Amino acid sequence: MSEARLHVTDAQGRRVVVLDRPLFMIGRRTSADLQIVSTDVSREHAEIAQEDGRYLLRDRGSRYGTFVNGEQVTERVLQPGDRIRLGRTDAIELLFVTESAKTTGFLDSGTSDAGDLRQMAAILNGLRALGSGRVLDEILALVMDSALEVTKADRGFMMLANTEGDLEFKIARGRGRTMLPGTTFTTSEKIPREVFQTGQSRIVNDLMDADIKDKHDGTIAIGIRHVLCVPLRVTPPSSAPVAARSERVIGVLYLDGKERSTMLSKATQSSLEAFATQAALAIESARLYAESAEKARIDHDLKIAAEIQRNMLPDPVFEVGAIDLAAESIPCRTVGGDFYDYLEIGERGLGFALGDVAGKGPPAALLAAAVQSNFVALAPVSSDPAETMARVNKALLRRAIDARFATMFYGAVTADGRLSYCNAGQEPPLVIGRNGVAWLETGGPVLGLLSIATYEFATVALEPGDLVVVCSDGVTEARNRAGDEFGRDRLVEAVRGRQGRKPEAVLEHLIAEVKLFSEGAAQADDVTALVLRYRGRG
Amino acid sequence: MQIGQRMVGDVAIVEITGDITLSKGGDVIIKDKVQSLLQQGNRKLLLDLGNVSYVDSAGLGQLVQVYATTSHLGGSLKLLRVTKRLKDLLVLTKLLTVFDSYDDEAEAVASFKK
Repeated sequence: MSEARLHVTDAQGRRVVVLDRPLFMIGRRTSADLQIVSTDVSREHAEIAQEDGRYLLRDRGSRYGTFVNGEQVTERVLQPGDRIRLGRTDAIELLFVTESAKTTGFLDSGTSDAGDLRQMAAILNGLRALGSGRVLDEILALVMDSALEVTKADRGFMMLANTEGDLEFKIARGRGRTMLPGTTFTTSEKIPREVFQTGQSRIVNDLMDADIKDKHDGTIAIGIRHVLCVPLRVTPPSSAPVAARSERVIGVLYLDGKERSTMLSKATQSSLEAFATQAALAIESARLYAESAEKARIDHDLKIAAEIQRNMLPDPVFEVGAIDLAAESIPCRTVGGDFYDYLEIGERGLGFALGDVAGKGPPAALLAAAVQSNFVALAPVSSDPAETMARVNKALLRRAIDARFATMFYGAVTADGRLSYCNAGQEPPLVIGRNGVAWLETGGPVLGLLSIATYEFATVALEPGDLVVVCSDGVTEARNRAGDEFGRDRLVEAVRGRQGRKPEAVLEHLIAEVKLFSEGAAQADDVTALVLRYRGRG
Repeated sequence: MQIGQRMVGDVAIVEITGDITLSKGGDVIIKDKVQSLLQQGNRKLLLDLGNVSYVDSAGLGQLVQVYATTSHLGGSLKLLRVTKRLKDLLVLTKLLTVFDSYDDEAEAVASFKK
């Protein structure tokens, strides 16, 4: 068995048509199996009949004649390599070729081509398994080329639905492994839309068919007459939950051509459908890959941000003269809105602060960084904690970040144990020592909201061994599974009786208590605490 | 969160029901409401918070923000029926002294005339 083809050269260019019917009509008529538009070609110019495995060329009484190898004929058995000329000039030439059974194998040509497509689908499946989304466009182009090769269609398109459900061109390929230029193409609008909506393949033999002709004038005008359109269907793996196992159509594969060729055979259609399913999965996994790549990028950025944030915080343990302290900040997300800082401010001793910005995550982290930098810049040039706070408030207001604010506690301890402080809306710190518990509440409103805000400071005298415990509301408002808050009483209990111990040990115990209390419940807020000990002189 | 409004004389009473939180967009709704009232020329605003169950930090920030915006335009914004929970939050953040707050509507409306 052999397959015969005509290599056609005419005003439209070069193309190949398959002699796939017993009687193959060549002429100017639109219903011809090979339509050639030329004044030299008659409406029904010639026909090629298959008889006993031979191909018989007959002139249909054409006006300007049919020629084989330069010789005018009325009837001729075609031999491979025969050159057929229609009309008076060489402008139209049909080269008759056959492929012997030897080259196509023992299967008939349709199944063989379909086999190629299945192989392609298998390769695509393999590539999909590799999850290499970056090369997706190249793969799809390659696959499109194979589909064109197999079907002998002139053009191939992949159209994908956008978020509004409208089909958009994704890939447009032409014969000879070419990328069709442009972003929109003249194709049938109705056929892809129908296939997309119904999920059913469509084969349209002839757009000239009366009932749909008027809807396809644009396509017919450029000579396209045959269309094969199959859905790109995503079938979730059987491992997916039952509820998620419904099929979805994400777009269509659309092939068209001027000639009938093999694209209209049933075998081609079913292979193309199988291929389209693989293509759909490849597209879908590429999409998931792209999403996860984007997520990975954000995660990476956040990790860097978290590192920067950690680096902005001073060492967690510090000691100077009669004072030592320890601090820790545990963000509930990658980055947090809490901060602590401390710095030596000459004769006024050691300044220390802990702040909390409303909100969580990156926006809060940025504002926290701004508050912290303002504090560090303004504390040394202010005469007392209240002035520092008023200046930080004004600095934040100048950069007015809509309705965002920070709370902050700032204290300064001198070598002789005098603690001056100002509390701007922060959860009150406690001083615990021989004289019992005191809460440090004097100060003013939260920072960054009110230009009229005023701040006061107070001074308390620390006894040797006294502990100052400052924490964010993530500590006092930590909840257990029952929804109870850690609260101030538990905070006092967690540090009571630990005066005189090293601050890092007290801090470690406090954090452990908070974690134990909220075990099993998600951390809802950033947890930050600072413990300072006054050891006394000498 | 739901927001309603009625006029008593020249005082615009904004009635808020539900949570004022970032996640429910309550903070932005309040901001838009107050801004539109100010644009219409209202300068006496009373926020009725009697049916507000929860205010988060973003909501609190917004309450202060609309207060500041109103003051800046020469108007005044007061609070009506502040819940215990919000009051604790206002005490903690030392914002209670910023706001004039009332439990009785008639008394609140009358206070604007002073």
